[in-house]
Amino acid sequence: MWTFLRRRIISSAVPLVVVILGVFALARLTGNPASLYLPLNATQQMRDDFAARNGLDDPLWLQMANYIAGVFRLDFGTSLRTGEDAATMALRAFPATLQLAGVTMLLAIVLAVLVGSWAALKPNGIADRISSFISMAAASVPDFWLAIVGIFVFAITLGWLPTSGVASGASWILPIATLLLRPFGVLVQIVRGAMVSALSEPYIKLARSKGASESRVVFRHALRNAAAPALTVAGDLAVGLINGAVVVESIFGWPGIGKLMIDSILQRDFAVLQAAVLVTAISIFTLNIVIDLLYALLDARVRPAGSMRKRRVNVPAPA
Amino acid sequence: MSSSPLNRTPRGSRLIAVAATGAGLALILSGCGVANSSSGGGGGAGDTLRIVLPQEPPTLEPCEGSLTATGIVTRSNITEPLVERNPTSGELEPLLATEWEATGDTEWTFTLRDDVAFSDGSPFTAASAAFAIDRAVNSDLGCNVEGYVFGDDDLVVTAVDDTTLTVQTVRPDPILPLRLSFVEIVPESTSTSEKVREPIGTGPYTIASWDTGTKLTLDRNADYWGEAPSYAAAEYQWRSEGTVRAAMVTSGEADVAVGLGPDDGAGELGVDYANNETVALRLSGDIAPLDDIRVRQAVNYAIDRDGILGSLYTEETKPAAQLIPTGVVGFNDDLETWEFDLEAATALVDEARADGVPVDTEITLVARNAQFPKVTEMAQVLQEELTQAGLNVKLTMVDTSQHLQHQLRPFVLDQGPIALLIMHGNQAGDAQFTVDQYMRTDGAQSAFGTPEFDTMLEAAGEKSAEERAAAYEEIFAYQNEEIVQFATIAHMVGEIGLATTVDYTPDAATGDEIRLSDFVRVD
Repeated sequence: MWTFLRRRIISSAVPLVVVILGVFALARLTGNPASLYLPLNATQQMRDDFAARNGLDDPLWLQMANYIAGVFRLDFGTSLRTGEDAATMALRAFPATLQLAGVTMLLAIVLAVLVGSWAALKPNGIADRISSFISMAAASVPDFWLAIVGIFVFAITLGWLPTSGVASGASWILPIATLLLRPFGVLVQIVRGAMVSALSEPYIKLARSKGASESRVVFRHALRNAAAPALTVAGDLAVGLINGAVVVESIFGWPGIGKLMIDSILQRDFAVLQAAVLVTAISIFTLNIVIDLLYALLDARVRPAGSMRKRRVNVPAPA
Repeated sequence: MSSSPLNRTPRGSRLIAVAATGAGLALILSGCGVANSSSGGGGGAGDTLRIVLPQEPPTLEPCEGSLTATGIVTRSNITEPLVERNPTSGELEPLLATEWEATGDTEWTFTLRDDVAFSDGSPFTAASAAFAIDRAVNSDLGCNVEGYVFGDDDLVVTAVDDTTLTVQTVRPDPILPLRLSFVEIVPESTSTSEKVREPIGTGPYTIASWDTGTKLTLDRNADYWGEAPSYAAAEYQWRSEGTVRAAMVTSGEADVAVGLGPDDGAGELGVDYANNETVALRLSGDIAPLDDIRVRQAVNYAIDRDGILGSLYTEETKPAAQLIPTGVVGFNDDLETWEFDLEAATALVDEARADGVPVDTEITLVARNAQFPKVTEMAQVLQEELTQAGLNVKLTMVDTSQHLQHQLRPFVLDQGPIALLIMHGNQAGDAQFTVDQYMRTDGAQSAFGTPEFDTMLEAAGEKSAEERAAAYEEIFAYQNEEIVQFATIAHMVGEIGLATTVDYTPDAATGDEIRLSDFVRVD
């Protein structure tokens, strides 16, 4: 397993570097952001001073070299907007997004498993059709619209929940519900499909004929084999969540890294954008590695390369 | 079953999964509060004014006070200037200075209060004022205020004694006191090599805590030299969506919501006021076909101002005939807005075409996303109306950074003739700030000009208080008749959401400054 980990970390490092340098170069190609920070009547001299003060008039390769040198010193630059350290800003904002994304994903998985399994028990039955419709709708609804409607219905009209902000436990509900819907919709379909094929395997008939209870059949046997594809898709969806929940954070005033990134882009705040991208990219690569490990643990047929163990098929224990 | 680590028992696998989930949840919900925010809060104690802004102040550095996002919190709350402009009367009122007069062609002398202390206890003297002005205007900090009101010229500031300050300018400057109303005074202990995020000032409030990303709280300054304000504290939060800001006021989560649009849903709690913003199209009069004055006049005739404003905005939004609203020195009461006359517009275009002007060249109408409410709709109507006059107009919506490239010199040069939709706010109160930018041949935001006009502009800038107004009024009239660089469209109206427990009357400065002392609690 350690060989596996080491190889994955190294092979993730290359795309990481490409992403960082790519963002670096592309951002600077948008020109001198002085006009966003200086008043409109600033003179050309002031704009030139601004560029000089922030190292923006050096050639691109020199700026990149300085940046990389800084990275090795753990200095990721200063925000043009606030004057604070860019890394501090990114690291301060990230946990809030992680909380939001983490809870959302867990709930989405649990709910998707329940609903998807329920639907798979009788393919094309009523339960299946209802859940299919709901999940399709959920996967298609735009989150911006959903957030505003949610606020209007639950906060303004009914007064049950706060409109936005992070003040209380209740303020988690609308943001999570908004963010949850699309991953839930997609996952239900995946779980349902995987469960339908798992439930039609011969060993399921065997377990049923031995008198195993329905819940044992579903959760103990079928689900373990359906878990792998669901997990892979869940991983993809989680990446999408971490990478910003930008809309939800902006609307609900959630102090996360998605909002930080969009503000940095609009304000051409290069250092903060790069720091935020770095933090997000590292966490995405880590998440992908973790998913691969989980996948291997769950599905005995897929083991990390380098394993010399004898392979065994998962046969259910006698009921 | 063997218990080798890779061949786990089903029970073993399940245990691992449960353990992993549990650990994950615990980690994520640690503290059960949201990371990056202090727990709980939401006080709502009647004595705290809860304000929601469109964005978090990037910094509270006072010399960046001309940046709206910063100034809206600092100006006259945490820090104060020597003199302050009354937005309604346009007059300068004493604040940290009690008197001022021109004591020479290029010199002004200020008499300062002697009973003021900064919130850290240090006394306010002429030396502090000199320090603060020097720091904002003459230093290498690159303060926003420097570019906004002072340009390249340095000031020579001298503290004659504890309560007397002289300021010398490079050129005669009749509006120097007005310019100084933008410089917020800070103590001599403030860093001159770096901007400060949380400043000390003389104002009625001090910074209590700043939960970056979440909330900013100010407390009443117990040692304030002036009248104590009504609210004991102010809490600022920020939401980028106008509908959410309005919702916070209507649901009682906030007392004041800034920067609302007509459709944001504040209902009866929304109060409209004339902010000092004017919307206009700026025409590149140096590129064909916009270099022909008939074409520019046609643009003006083709726009149905009443129609646009009537269908998109509230009644208080009035058509504009010049780039500044009433209340700014130089506003010309007698100027009439262009009449909507599609026939006249078409006739002018045809005449130009007959004379060989290439009127079929594609003109790009450039507008900025979300610059003001319904900007997209307005831009679409404008494009349609100009097309009906016989011009070939294409609409492009761009983001702030790209828009600025069109707005500021050096302009985008290789895209042909441009009709740029701009919104200009003159918060200084004197037409010079508008006219130097937008009408001089080399003005930073001016597409073109003429030498005769430049001479008029220069002369007007040096006129004393009594003569300025007349000089600038003539300039706006001349612009509309002889230059026609602009098709001014509307004087905009802003909306602020106010809870019923708050007594406050918005004025033209409300968009840029929220003076907490002006808010009174009503029970």
